[in-house]
Amino acid sequence: MELSSAIAMGAPIGVGLAALGSGIGLGIAVSGALQAIGRQPEASGKIMTNMIIGAALIEALTIYALIVFFILLGKMG
Amino acid sequence: MEIVINFFASIDAEVPELPSIGNLIDKIFHGAPWASFIHHWSSLLTSVFVGIAIASLFWIGSRSKNLIPTGLQNALEWFLENFETAICDILGPRGKKYVPLLATLFIYILAMNWLTLIPLMKPPSSNVNITAGLAICVFCLVQYQNIRNYGFFGFLYHMAGSPKDILGWVMSPLMFCIELLTQFTRPVTLAFRLFGNVAGEDILIGAFALFGVLLIQDLNIPFGLPLQIPFLFLAMLTGLMQALVFTLLSTIYILLSMPEEDH
Repeated sequence: MELSSAIAMGAPIGVGLAALGSGIGLGIAVSGALQAIGRQPEASGKIMTNMIIGAALIEALTIYALIVFFILLGKMG
Repeated sequence: MEIVINFFASIDAEVPELPSIGNLIDKIFHGAPWASFIHHWSSLLTSVFVGIAIASLFWIGSRSKNLIPTGLQNALEWFLENFETAICDILGPRGKKYVPLLATLFIYILAMNWLTLIPLMKPPSSNVNITAGLAICVFCLVQYQNIRNYGFFGFLYHMAGSPKDILGWVMSPLMFCIELLTQFTRPVTLAFRLFGNVAGEDILIGAFALFGVLLIQDLNIPFGLPLQIPFLFLAMLTGLMQALVFTLLSTIYILLSMPEEDH
């Protein structure tokens, strides 16, 4: 198997798995935030701020996978 | 802008890139030494330009020292007061002396991220060297504060988990290694998070602009569909969030370097 075919098969699966993991993580985080807002609507500003920060941190892990994907894209033939 | 994208689509570039000032100067002047110098260092020159622009804006805003502010001075003071309240909520009253650094980080990174909205500009934070420079600044500050607050050997003791009983001393080599790894991973993640988000958005916008050109290329008109406009809004949101996350994480790292106070 040549290197470019191996990379072409493996790299998109890696990015897809990273997206799957961060999708699940973001779903859990946002669901927790929405429940907290439902319980106490007047604190919704603070809750949303913390939720956005948590979402950005979880999203960063997917971005690391995307960076690796772009590096591999350069090495592919 | 789409005219120039059609010109670039014929090049064998690995990642699609929108034309920016560096690219254009290099193309127009056909690789003259000073043109390729500007193209090579375009991120650094753009970041210096952003810094000078922000400094001028704040200098103009603070020139009229009215006690009741109006106009630009009002807007800047409103922003800075809210920011100081938010930071001192996290750091406590001792955090006031870190507010200049953190506010500068926030405004600088926000301006750099949002520079992608101006046509013919490439955001400097899509270059990993610039984000790494900012992360190294924060790392140096945090380590200096650690050593100043705890003392050098006190800092090593604190990194080993402050062992007091026999269980603590047994676990302390493991805790020390984990804590050392954490300390060194923090600037790496700071740099790569900001770089990955901004560069990823940039490549996404470039890819959709290229797609818009390739869709109607059979019509032979020198224009393309502006398919990348929804992603400009996404780039605005991502830029704001990443500036916020960088600043808040730096605040939390500074908070973790302060010893706990007993009230």
